[in-house]
Amino acid sequence: MKNIVLICAAGMSTSLLVEKMQRCAKDDNYDCQINAYSMSESTRVIPDADVVLLGPQVRFNLAKLKVQYPDKKIVTIDMVLYGTMNGRAVLDVAKKEMD
Amino acid sequence: MEGVELICFQIIASVGTARSMYIEAIQEAKTGNFESARTMIKEGGTVFVEGHHAHMGLLQNEASGNKPEIGILVVHAEDQLMSAEAFGILAEEFVDLYERIAKIAI
Repeated sequence: MKNIVLICAAGMSTSLLVEKMQRCAKDDNYDCQINAYSMSESTRVIPDADVVLLGPQVRFNLAKLKVQYPDKKIVTIDMVLYGTMNGRAVLDVAKKEMD
Repeated sequence: MEGVELICFQIIASVGTARSMYIEAIQEAKTGNFESARTMIKEGGTVFVEGHHAHMGLLQNEASGNKPEIGILVVHAEDQLMSAEAFGILAEEFVDLYERIAKIAI
């Protein structure tokens, strides 16, 4: 089962996006777990992640995280996709990263 | 998705991006790239205004008599907005400081 991790400032707004992504994953019969966390939880949750998606508000951590986890797939969520809560498109980005 | 929730996400996405750009600007200045740092602050300001306009939508909505339901998401969006604004002001100061330090160090 794939493990998709989303990270934002408090893990709050992103959890709404996660709900939408979970619904889309269910529609696709895509076997995965999707969870939202805050930046402070990143060291605990990133080691087990198949893909890490960063919210626009924590995007500035990308370079640092890539150095810390050179083998991990870490990408930022597009501002427009985030702002429109486009769970479908964000799930597709995650899937594409894991291909 | 409807009304207030959507506006909140627009605010969070825009001002959140702006905040990241402000911090990235400081990081650029730290490595001596002052020109690109200032460009980032400027671009951050443009994105911030988008979020500010979305927020204005909430205010106008209330002013026209539609009192919105204030949930924790609205509070969070406003918190992000104010945080981004503060980062914008401080980023300019930090870039100036790094530039001054660079001049002294030479």
